[in-house]
Order: sequence, then structure tokens, then C-alpha cells
Amino acid sequence: MTNLSLLLEPSILSEVFLQGLVRGSMYALMGAGLSLIFGILGVANFAHGALFMMGAYVMVSVSVMLGLPFVVGIAAAAAVLFLAGMIIERGLIATLRKRAGRDWLLDSFVLTIGLSVLLENLALILFGSRRRGITQMIFGDVAIGDISISYERLMILGIATLVVFLLWAFIKFTNTGKAIRATAQHPEAAQTLGIDISRVYTYAFGLGAALAGLSGALLISIYPAYPSVGLQPIVKGLAVVILGGLGYVPGAIAAGLLLGVIEAYAIFFMSAGWQNVLTAVLVVLILILRPSGLFVAAKGERP
Amino acid sequence: MTLEVKGVVAGYTKEVPILHGVDLTAREGLVTLILGPNGAGKSTLLKTIYGYLPPSEGDILYYGKSMKGLRPKDMLREGIAYLLQDHSVFPNMTVHENLQLGAWIFRGDKPAVKRAFEVVYGRFPRLKEKRGLAAGALSGGEQRMLEIARLTMTGPKTLLLDEPSVGLMPKLVDSIYEEISKLKEEKFTILIVDQNAKKSIEIADYVYVLKLGENSHQGPQAEFKERLEDIIKEWL
Repeated sequence: MTNLSLLLEPSILSEVFLQGLVRGSMYALMGAGLSLIFGILGVANFAHGALFMMGAYVMVSVSVMLGLPFVVGIAAAAAVLFLAGMIIERGLIATLRKRAGRDWLLDSFVLTIGLSVLLENLALILFGSRRRGITQMIFGDVAIGDISISYERLMILGIATLVVFLLWAFIKFTNTGKAIRATAQHPEAAQTLGIDISRVYTYAFGLGAALAGLSGALLISIYPAYPSVGLQPIVKGLAVVILGGLGYVPGAIAAGLLLGVIEAYAIFFMSAGWQNVLTAVLVVLILILRPSGLFVAAKGERP
Repeated sequence: MTLEVKGVVAGYTKEVPILHGVDLTAREGLVTLILGPNGAGKSTLLKTIYGYLPPSEGDILYYGKSMKGLRPKDMLREGIAYLLQDHSVFPNMTVHENLQLGAWIFRGDKPAVKRAFEVVYGRFPRLKEKRGLAAGALSGGEQRMLEIARLTMTGPKTLLLDEPSVGLMPKLVDSIYEEISKLKEEKFTILIVDQNAKKSIEIADYVYVLKLGENSHQGPQAEFKERLEDIIKEWL
């Protein structure tokens, strides 16, 4: 029998909340990347999970095989995936877009699914199906009042927060960020002002891929690297994009954190496994009741 | 001869051209008006000039130089700006950010951007007042004003205007034409496509009429003004 009074202990509830934020920070990073790519390129990137997987393998290669510090592994994962994303956009997506007509969304669906199958099988050939992970990057726990949390989870939360903040500042204040927003809002007008929108597409895809790679590297102790490891992250990422509003990056970030917390409580109060049911129910409810997403203004505000 | 269109054949697909060999000249510092019924290819002509649609035959010369191979993103650097027919502000960005993007090709050159802002805010004090507002929150007329202001940030020489008064309230229509005549006084070379023939002919110097993708009539404004009603009747 579970002791109910223990379940409702405030310190335990806040600990679950914190665990939820850690879980949610990954959903936010995945969702933000997917949303950025969808908002700017009109591509529902089903290869996003495979990019997560690549990030995990880069992390293992750099930090375990080469033995370099974990921070280097995390940075390398972001950098490698930024490049890989730009190559994928230039080589595959931009090439196909030129030939595509009105069915671009469907074409991009087939393309990115195919790409994800290709990447998973490449990983299988190169690394085999064995799971390669890192049990723990940093040891120890820290106590905040009655709550205790591991340094590692605190670091994941810290880096994710920092990255989300940097992404926001980049899009808000830099010239390139403004060109990205302009392209999302009115690509034709952006072009008449001299903005090279095909380049904006390439950068945006690279950025989205870098966020996926970063998540894969950051969560290496929770999700070890194996070829199909990206499945759960992409399913959650897509859920977050729907909850937050298609193409609306701040919405995806907020929805990611929210979903993480909801799932953490679901696991705590019900049992592991139920959180996935709950997420699916939430997504269906949002699609029925508020298809524009939780955080989109009535006018249809966009980044 | 600022801008010369020579025997241009172009369209959205190779098999179905919309322009069947159009000739046109926009003269420096003057307003050239293109009239014609729906489907005459007026907007298509502007899109072709601006590099959206590569001509399959013929050529477009700007100050004697062929514009073959130039894409829309290159045009502002050549000194040609393009006002799109539909609303084209970036609605969720502020008025100021919209204008900043108007100076995109000056990015990195802070003094040049600063000067551009001084000129444009001097000319459009209303926009200066509202610079912190989201462009989408402006009225229809103000948005058009912002679009025109945004085009002039980098001091282009030539303006292509596609239906500048379409979809605006009659009261605002007048203010848009006032703005265009001011631009004319400042010696911009203007090529304008317009449904509102009665208004636009007042500011035009030279008029072309297109019909089904071909030249139909052309001549100086004075000649056209008298015949305008007859020509419009011909379309109906």
C-alpha cells in the first residue's frame, strides 16, 4: 500500500517538479528545433530523432572513445549537427524544394522519413546495435532546502536554459535572427529587401539540427546511444510542437517544460508508461479544442 | 534609357508563356504607367523584371547592362526596389525592425543605417511615432506607407510599384498617390502597374497598355488622358 500522506509531502512534490523540468528541457530543445524548421522551411522534420541519435553518438565518440572532457563532447555534438543539418538542407531539402509544387509538405514528410531510416541504418552499420552510454558525467547531489537533485541533472537543466536563452537572444537581436523572422513571416518580401532566403533556410535547418544534437549529447546518461534512440525524443518533440503551436518557437519551449512536468507527476502518481498515454490524450485534446496551440494568440501570432 | 524590356517572353512554366514578347522603356526620373485588363500580364512583367521569372526569350537592360541571371535578392543592390501587390510588412516585427530589414544590404555599416533612418523618419514622422509598435497593428494605409518607406531605406534609383492602392479605403488611396508624386518630385524612376487608371494617369508621364501579354497601345500621358475612357471601354 502506498502511503498517501508521503506522496503529498511538499518537498517530494517539488523534487518531482524539478525532475519534470529536466525532462521538459529536453522536450523544449527538441520542440524548439522542430518548430523553427517547420516555421521557416515548412518541413515537418521526421528525421529530427535521427539527428538526436547522431548527437548521442558524437558525444560517445568524443568523450568515451577519444576521452575528451564532456563539455567538449556536448559542444562537438552541437557543432557537428549544425554542419550536418546545413548539408542535409542544401543537398536534399533545397534540391527537392525546387522540383516540388503544392505538395511540398507531403514531399518533405516522405523525404525526412526516408532520411531517418537511412541514418539509423548507417548507425547500425557503423556502431552496431549495442547501447553505448555514459553512466554519469558528474557525481554527487546537491541539496536545496529539502530537495535533493544530482549535479548532473542540474547541469542538464542549466545548459538547456542557457541554450534556450541564447537562441531567443539570437533570433531577437542579431541581424541574422531578424532575417530568419522576416523570412518566416513573409519570404517574398524578405527577398525583395535583398535577403538570401535560401541561405536563411540552410541556417535555420542547421540551427534546428544543432538543438537536436545538443539534446542527444546532454541526455547521454539517460538515453545511451543506439540506432533507434531518437524515437521517443521525436515523438515528444512533435507533441510539444502541436501543444505549443506549429512553427511558434517560444510556444514549443513553454510546452516542452510543461509537458515534462506533467509527465513527471504522471509517473509519480500513476506509474511509468502512463505518461505516454497522458501525452497522447493531451495532444488529441489540443487538436480538437485549440488546434492553433496553447500559447498562440488569437490573431495567430508567429515568431 | 534607364530600364529597357526587349521582346521578353516569360511565364510561370516554359510551356505556357504569359508575356509574348513585350517591349517597354522606363525613362530616368519619370513615371511610367502600365495599364491593361486583368490577365494582361502586368504583374508578371514586374516579376520578370525583378528576377522572379527568368525570360525564355528577350532581354532586360538596366542602364545598358543585361540583368540576366540576377535574382530578386540582388536587385536592391542594383538600385531597384519592388513594392509587392499584397501586404508585405513583417506583421510581428516592430515598425523599426521592418525598416532595419529595409536596410539589410547596409548591415554592418552602422553610419549608413543611421543615415537611412534619419532620412526615412524625417520623411515619415508618423512611422517614427509608431516605431515600437508591431507592424501588423498599423492601419492598412500606414502599412502601405511603411512598405514604401522600407523600400527607400537604401536609396534605390528605380521603384517598381505593383498596384499601390489596391484594397485601401478611398480616403487612403489619395494619400498613397500623394506619396508617389512626392517620390516623383525627388526624381525616382518609377514603373507602376495599376488598376486604378484614373488616379495613376494623373501622376504618369508615359503610358503603356498591355493586352494578353502583348503591347497594345503606348504614348505620352497627355495623349492617353483623353482616350482613357475609350481604352477602358475596349477592355469590357
